[in-house]
Amino acid sequence: MNETKPVAEIRNLRVEVDGRAIVDGVNLRVVPGTITALVGASGSGKTTTGLALLGEYPEGARVTGDVHAPDGLVGYVPQHPAAVLNPARRTGALLRDIARTQVRHLPRRDRRAAVHERVLRALSSAQVPDAGTMLRRHPDQLSGGQQQRVVLAQALLLGARVVVADEPTTGQDALTKRGIVEQLAAVAREGIAVVLLSHDLDVVRALADEVLVMQDGHVAESGPAERLWRAPRHPWTAELLAAASTTTRIEPAAEGDVVLRTGHLIARHGRTAVVRTPPLVLRAGECLAVVGRSGSGKTTLARCLAGLHRDHDGEILLDGVPLPRSLRNRTRRQLASVQYVFQDAAAAFDEHRPVLQQVARTAVRLRGVAEPDALAEALTTLAALGLADDLVCRRPGRLSGGELQRAALARALLARPRVLICDEITSGLDTVTRRGILDTLAGLVRDRGDLSLVLVTHDPATAALATRIAVLEAGALVEEGPARQLLTAPRHAFGVRLLETVARDRPRGRVPE
Amino acid sequence: MRSRRALGALIVGVPLALALLGPLLAGGPGPRTASFTLGGGHWLGTDFVGRDVWRQVLLGGRSVVLVALAATALSYLVALPVGLVSALTHRTWLEELLMRPLDVLLAVPSLLMILLVAAVLTPGGVGLALLVALVNVPDAARIVRAAAADVASRPAVEALRMQGETWWRTAVGYVGRSLTRTLAADAGVRLTGVLYLVATAAFLGVGVEPDAADWAVLVDRNRTGLFVQPWAVVVPALLIVALTTGANLLVDARLERRKRT
Repeated sequence: MNETKPVAEIRNLRVEVDGRAIVDGVNLRVVPGTITALVGASGSGKTTTGLALLGEYPEGARVTGDVHAPDGLVGYVPQHPAAVLNPARRTGALLRDIARTQVRHLPRRDRRAAVHERVLRALSSAQVPDAGTMLRRHPDQLSGGQQQRVVLAQALLLGARVVVADEPTTGQDALTKRGIVEQLAAVAREGIAVVLLSHDLDVVRALADEVLVMQDGHVAESGPAERLWRAPRHPWTAELLAAASTTTRIEPAAEGDVVLRTGHLIARHGRTAVVRTPPLVLRAGECLAVVGRSGSGKTTLARCLAGLHRDHDGEILLDGVPLPRSLRNRTRRQLASVQYVFQDAAAAFDEHRPVLQQVARTAVRLRGVAEPDALAEALTTLAALGLADDLVCRRPGRLSGGELQRAALARALLARPRVLICDEITSGLDTVTRRGILDTLAGLVRDRGDLSLVLVTHDPATAALATRIAVLEAGALVEEGPARQLLTAPRHAFGVRLLETVARDRPRGRVPE
Repeated sequence: MRSRRALGALIVGVPLALALLGPLLAGGPGPRTASFTLGGGHWLGTDFVGRDVWRQVLLGGRSVVLVALAATALSYLVALPVGLVSALTHRTWLEELLMRPLDVLLAVPSLLMILLVAAVLTPGGVGLALLVALVNVPDAARIVRAAAADVASRPAVEALRMQGETWWRTAVGYVGRSLTRTLAADAGVRLTGVLYLVATAAFLGVGVEPDAADWAVLVDRNRTGLFVQPWAVVVPALLIVALTTGANLLVDARLERRKRT
């Protein structure tokens, strides 16, 4: 396939910001009809390289090297597609605006029909199933996956010959992911070159023809996807691949005491009950995974436990003592006992203050530690999570998503919690970072003995860490039991479906066309 | 960007310096001459009762500027705590208690309110400042509350509560600090509105003597001679315009700089 003329090419690209090279010596050939994947940890220069194809660089960057790309014919599908869709206009209007510019040569009476036809064609290329209803909706009425397709349709309408997709599957559940994989494969079949920036190795494996493995702005290794998976040459690639597969399960040696116990919980948003669960029990030293698709109510359940969602019936008991519904009424001891790590780490930090100071405040407020001691303890905890001193003295904006997630974990750990609730903390992280965080969590539970974890996740691979798994669907607890049993022999249809999806997402190598 | 700041500083600096330092430089009152004349040792001419316009301009800024600044500061002093408390509380009744009375106040046209109160109480400069501040509190409190409610729903605030952080640090240290851009933009506009209100009140004779040395009063009293001796109207009017324009330019430049860093 390399005989084909590349539609875009990057040669020896170097992008330097404030004297630091974020991308150095990168070569990239983009061939029509193929999918080229850039993989690597967050901050490895994937997005910078991808944006270079569009001629976009970070502010104040010094750029050397050659970038050849068809002018204006490179489409970009960002990680958060909602940010590029005008929320005040319907999808149909957004697409027709673009199509209208292309039908000026036609006689006036034919234009309307031509515009409509072009929009429909673009939508079907972008694998939008129900184009009619989609066109009448506003962007905020679409799911993340649908928004992504609309952005893709915009790029296709413009006649893009290269599409850069930035982390298209981040934060999506297994079923949505499969849809995205099919959609990108279909785009490539139409002869468009796809550049996939992702740290989701399952998706890369299912899709990519060529893979570039990036590390700290360099290309560590590149080659056909099949060869790379079979025989990685660079140690970093091997590590990246190894991290994706194995997970050690947390298995407490003995059955611990009950730490947290709930009654029949009914949580509401306004008048509608969104979660109903039978009594749940969390024992010391174990890890409970709450899994389910997005919108199944798993975050709401976790927020009830943490005291962040007040509107619920049913008691939550810590060591047999009822916890107040709202955080504001919990004592310092109770606050320290149950800690919560937020899904969006960047939004959970004060952007004005250095990370270290914010992390240390937990110890000051919840354990009454003096400020200097708290700072020292925070530094130790952060260092144990792999965050260097000079890094944590910066403001949150200067840290990557993975780094912030670890800082958020440190912030919760400084309270010396007995129950640690983690809401999707590994979604949006590359495999190595995810592996690191999961290993850290497993290590903490093992070392501390009395720490219990609640992992909210839609990723069955992360759930594999758990001692017990609870499956939520549409707000109801449909299955709960030991992970060993649930992941091998699920009783409920949803558990089966989730497992099957995972299995389908990991085909053993793709047959090249 | 830098030029905009310099321009803003220059434009706002001239009326501000005149207003604050003017009374020190004014000197004693000279002998009165004929009304609305030009020349004759008065380089801005004379006003409607034959006083030197330049001296009146020097004396007349302090009341306008001080009342406007004090009224703006005062309105935020009340609006900030009210807005922050009602945005951060989860008790609906408290929010209602704080915000609903302000809505009633908001419904009354501000100038009408000032004229009504002035008719009953005949306030002085301090009274006028209080009155203008009062009519500005509802607007300001609503803006603070709306902006703060947006910030207060962020996970960062929940994270602070999870850390057992104090109300003060959460409300002022985080939410308040995140509001600075919005409030700075609002303050620029509000100062303009307050200046307009103070000047209008003075123009209508509220809070000042009818022949007082006040830029707004000067404009009012001397407009009869506008075509004979324009300076007595144009100069104080220009100074008021310069003050509001300059203040807005300065705030804009400052926001621009913050955005870049």
